[in-house]
Amino acid sequence: MTTQRSLTQHLITWSLSALLIVWVGFIVLAYRTGIHEADELTDGHLASVARLQLVQNTATQPLANMWDKSPGRPDLKNHDYQRSLSVVVWDAGGRVLSRNGDAPLPPFTLSESFETLQLGSPPVAWRAFSRWDGPTQQKKVMVLLSVSERDDLAQDIAEQMAEPGFWLLPFTALALGLAIRRGLQPLYALSRDVDALDIRQPSPLGNSYPQQELRAVADSINTLVDRYHTVLKRERELTDELAHELRTPLTSITLQARALRTPAAEADRQAMLARLERDALSAGQVLSDLLALARASRTELVERGQALDLDTIARNVVAEFAQMAHRSGHQLALSSPGPFPLTGHPVLLSLALRNLIENALSHTPGGTRVEVQLDPDAGWLQVCDDAAQSVARALSATGIENDPTVSALGLGLGHRVVQKIAVVHGGGFEQVTPPTGYQRCYRLVFKTANPQG
Amino acid sequence: MRVLVVEDDEGIATGLEAHLRKLGWAADVTDGVASAWAALCAEPFDLVLLDLGLRDGDGAELLHRLRQAPPKRLPDAATPVLIMTARDQVASRIAALDRGADDYMSKPFDPDELAARMRALRRRSVGRAQAVLRCGTLELDPAARTLKQAGQPVALSTREFSVLLTLVEVSPRVLSRAQIEARLYNWDSVLDSNAVEVHVHHLRKKLGSAVICTLRGVGYFVPEDT
Repeated sequence: MTTQRSLTQHLITWSLSALLIVWVGFIVLAYRTGIHEADELTDGHLASVARLQLVQNTATQPLANMWDKSPGRPDLKNHDYQRSLSVVVWDAGGRVLSRNGDAPLPPFTLSESFETLQLGSPPVAWRAFSRWDGPTQQKKVMVLLSVSERDDLAQDIAEQMAEPGFWLLPFTALALGLAIRRGLQPLYALSRDVDALDIRQPSPLGNSYPQQELRAVADSINTLVDRYHTVLKRERELTDELAHELRTPLTSITLQARALRTPAAEADRQAMLARLERDALSAGQVLSDLLALARASRTELVERGQALDLDTIARNVVAEFAQMAHRSGHQLALSSPGPFPLTGHPVLLSLALRNLIENALSHTPGGTRVEVQLDPDAGWLQVCDDAAQSVARALSATGIENDPTVSALGLGLGHRVVQKIAVVHGGGFEQVTPPTGYQRCYRLVFKTANPQG
Repeated sequence: MRVLVVEDDEGIATGLEAHLRKLGWAADVTDGVASAWAALCAEPFDLVLLDLGLRDGDGAELLHRLRQAPPKRLPDAATPVLIMTARDQVASRIAALDRGADDYMSKPFDPDELAARMRALRRRSVGRAQAVLRCGTLELDPAARTLKQAGQPVALSTREFSVLLTLVEVSPRVLSRAQIEARLYNWDSVLDSNAVEVHVHHLRKKLGSAVICTLRGVGYFVPEDT
């Protein structure tokens, strides 16, 4: 099982890594500054001693040819930064007037400056400063300091400068870790809420996130969940409707079949058989609609729309129903101004139109005028009929429902199929106010349309 | 048993009516909330078979109104209600049961299971746990519609069994002829004025005159020690 890294660990690791890099840079800089400043300090120290020596020698004339070889007294060196300086004093001719300290005797030169000399055997580096006593150049003083001793001082100073950094690092890391942890609390809260998300609740994350970034995330999740609920609700309604449409005729079939087991009058028996046949057909119609719905969903997923002429499709479909309309006494007609170019699925559009015409013919009495109307400019197709509402209500009493919100005998499900096909084509399906002379009108509006009313 | 079937699908309604009639029960059919409410206000029913998706409203609304009805008058708020619906959602079943339904069946259902559940509801409504009714030497099995007297089977017609069952269920209460008729016949039945007397007469002939007693001017009853 792989362990998941937490965001806190991730952030702390990166923050501490960045801190470590900055800290190392700070230490290096402090060390280099320490070395540099120690050099400057030493040089300044050499210059100061040289000046002091000259002033002192001038005041206490003369300390001629004196070389103090006595070892230095330990009690005279009691400060950390006190260095062992060597001093050599020459006259103008290069004769050593006085010499003090451990440094080997450097060669006499006329120049005066800071320099690093290699003295003794084996050669050891010494930092030296020499200067004349004035423009008359009667005496020259050179002050020397062992470079290793100077480096020790530089090291010490550099370490003193870098030392706070060593202490600061763990405290800074700790403070940074705590700050990150505290700062991420809102994110933790969101993470916990998302983890415990109850998708059955609408807008399950609420609006309790003051940070705009988190609020945007919460809003997005809420929107997604709400959308999920809408889809789920629609699917439940559809399932409920399908269950109702299918179970009702099946229940009737079961009961009629049971009743047929017992002897009954011939008229009753025939009525039961007729009812059985009607219910079986009704269940078959529901299954056809179900298959059409499944086909619409599949087509939506796997097939791309093609250029077609809805006028041609409508003419063909209306022609298919000519015989059925003639037999039932309906007046079926098509009203179309001409070509209706569209991008879509001809099979599905035929299915939708067939469904609408079939409904109109099946659920209205003979003599009813049923007209398929097309308007390419407005981008719609509609099927209207002029059966009176009272007649429709009478048909309802026999088990046929004209109210689109209530489904019976496949009409509601049929409309579902048409609606699904409309959605596949990016359009919509609705019952609209019928044109003059008609009582009912169902319209398919397509996306490519430019509705004019 | 007198049953009110509230169902808007004609096929189911007629099928149920035929099935219940075959069982010897009286069934009246209504197809909407309003007509069902009118029926419940007019007659006492032993049980209501209620569809939820009705033509003029939701069956759950009728159930709610029935359970809210004032006591000791029609409609009887304690009338057992069995929901039968084609709805698929569990939520609708829960809602219906919470509203006061006594049982629930999803369509399509087995007619025999429906009958068994109806008998069980009827038993519960009269405060009886056993499936078989015993009253003195009589032993009635409503499911098999059989009768034994002192352990010996006695053949009865459907109506005779129903009359006896009606009286035994409430024994030793006295039922008037109208009350017995109300439990045995639906609105469409054409009754002779002495139909109940004829069935009682036949029962006395088969079971003995002491089984069903007459309280003159009031009605009939089955004594507990019959």
